[in-house]
Amino acid sequence: MNFFETLFPVLETKFNVEKDASAHWDHSVIAKASVLRDLITFLKNDESSKMEMLLDIVGIDYLGFQDYESPRFAVEYVLKSISRPGNRVRVKVFVSEQDLEVPTISNLYPIANWQEREVYDQYGIIFTGHPDLRRILNHVEFEGHPLRKDYPAHRRQWLSTNDFLLPALEKRLESKGYKVVERSKEVLPNEDEYLTGSIQE
Amino acid sequence: MKVIAPNGDKLNLMPLNIGPSHGATHGCLRYFCALDGESIVATVGEIGYLHRGFEKMAERGTWQQVVPYTDRLNYCSAMMNNIAYCRAVENMFQLELPERTKILRVIISELSRMADHCICVAAAAQDLGSTTGFFYLFDSREMMMVIWEKLTGARLTNSYARIGGLYRDVYEGFEEDVLAVCKQAEKNLSDVHACFDRNRIFLDRTVGIGAMKPERAIQWGWTGPCLRATGVASDLRKDEPYYDYETYDWNVVTGTAGDVYDRLMVRLAEIEESIKIVRQALKRLTPGPIDIMDPRIRVPSHALAYQDIESLIGRFKSVYEGVRVPAGEYYYGFEAANGELGFTLVSDGSGKPWRVKVRPPCFTQFAAFHELVEGSMLTDSVATLSSINIIAGELDR
Repeated sequence: MNFFETLFPVLETKFNVEKDASAHWDHSVIAKASVLRDLITFLKNDESSKMEMLLDIVGIDYLGFQDYESPRFAVEYVLKSISRPGNRVRVKVFVSEQDLEVPTISNLYPIANWQEREVYDQYGIIFTGHPDLRRILNHVEFEGHPLRKDYPAHRRQWLSTNDFLLPALEKRLESKGYKVVERSKEVLPNEDEYLTGSIQE
Repeated sequence: MKVIAPNGDKLNLMPLNIGPSHGATHGCLRYFCALDGESIVATVGEIGYLHRGFEKMAERGTWQQVVPYTDRLNYCSAMMNNIAYCRAVENMFQLELPERTKILRVIISELSRMADHCICVAAAAQDLGSTTGFFYLFDSREMMMVIWEKLTGARLTNSYARIGGLYRDVYEGFEEDVLAVCKQAEKNLSDVHACFDRNRIFLDRTVGIGAMKPERAIQWGWTGPCLRATGVASDLRKDEPYYDYETYDWNVVTGTAGDVYDRLMVRLAEIEESIKIVRQALKRLTPGPIDIMDPRIRVPSHALAYQDIESLIGRFKSVYEGVRVPAGEYYYGFEAANGELGFTLVSDGSGKPWRVKVRPPCFTQFAAFHELVEGSMLTDSVATLSSINIIAGELDR
């Protein structure tokens, strides 16, 4: 029997999820944001599913989608099992435009850190509790969220400088137990220094 | 920057920027290290220098117009990305392809995989100072490029797969060319092994460097040769076979230590496995149609369009309106050269995709880069970076 047919009733009673009607070719469930973390933890650890790998986090904007009346955005988590090859499931969470918040799962899967940053970058969805929610693919000075349907594809923006990575580096040092006692002079450059580059001494 | 280490030592660290334009950062990416002498204490990466808005562009055109964009993902094995994308869309139609197309797609995929692995190991050899190894591997890759030229007319960003078929049938003499490549690749492989296997410099630079534990690799979402190098025998061609991969005789290659050496050697061994598959596939290749006969999915050929009005209409509708993919959402993962290349496709039933999300395999590998290099020397980070085979085209999209 298909693993999903045994898994789904468990998820239904425990987390009150629904089957995603749009998934005709694979398995997907729709969950509420409030149970998301528990659901993913269950899928990751429980013997019946063992979804050890988070493949991708996908943002979707449904603005203008045909015959569609639900929250504007959706975030989709693509999971697969390594110990049971071939078992895959997607978890979908709807996010409304007013709310825009989804709890982070970056402490369950380390890769979620970057994948959530990407969804934030492209759609502006806030992952609450994320340790370092910055842009990742787009430029640090970029304004707006380009994969939203109301962002025109031809819009141009003037971007002037590299990401100033020193604050991120300090954060990384602190997460490893180092204490920064004297910061580099270049951490917070003024406008002239942006143009002359970060290496001063 | 002055810091106090967890053990109480006072350190004066030097921040050092590497990339985005640096010989070792293949493609275009940047990492920023805090150095204590020559060892890396902490590092953070920045990507996005090659972000061209693939996903935004894909939403603007028809389903077929995405195909040439996919070449620009992993441009070292461009046709494999076409095949992955076309297969994802074909699965939404639940299409069964002609036998010849399936076999040709296997041959093209495996040749692309060989070319991709050749580039990765060759570039790693170059970074470690071995120009000889570089040229041995580029020799067989060049022969593949000549095949690509004859087949598609392009060398680098070539697109060959189409939704429901292939761009065209192979040229006269294709089989002989492929067999010649296989033979040459075997010779080059033995030369490369002679170069590296007992080479003290190579071993010192790679063994035990940038190691990754299997559990951690899974948590980081690693797939493909990098995951297999840690010892996890995970390969979609075996786990969820497509195009009859289960009927070919070949092995999944795994490493033991998950270090730079294993990652490079797994790739070299996978070239041998791919040669096996290609030789078996060539024997199965029999003449037959390459496209499915359905004008709603695969555009009718020119020959047909000039003969009857229905095919002409089919061509017009296919080009102007696009293929009408059934409405729904789907994720499909394909074993590309670098790992699992995934496409999340959202269709609203029209001729244009609503959403195309790519899951690039090297995104997850570069996300874990800091764990690989922290605590090692700056020079080792160069060897590590080339062993995880970052292709900026698919990393940044």
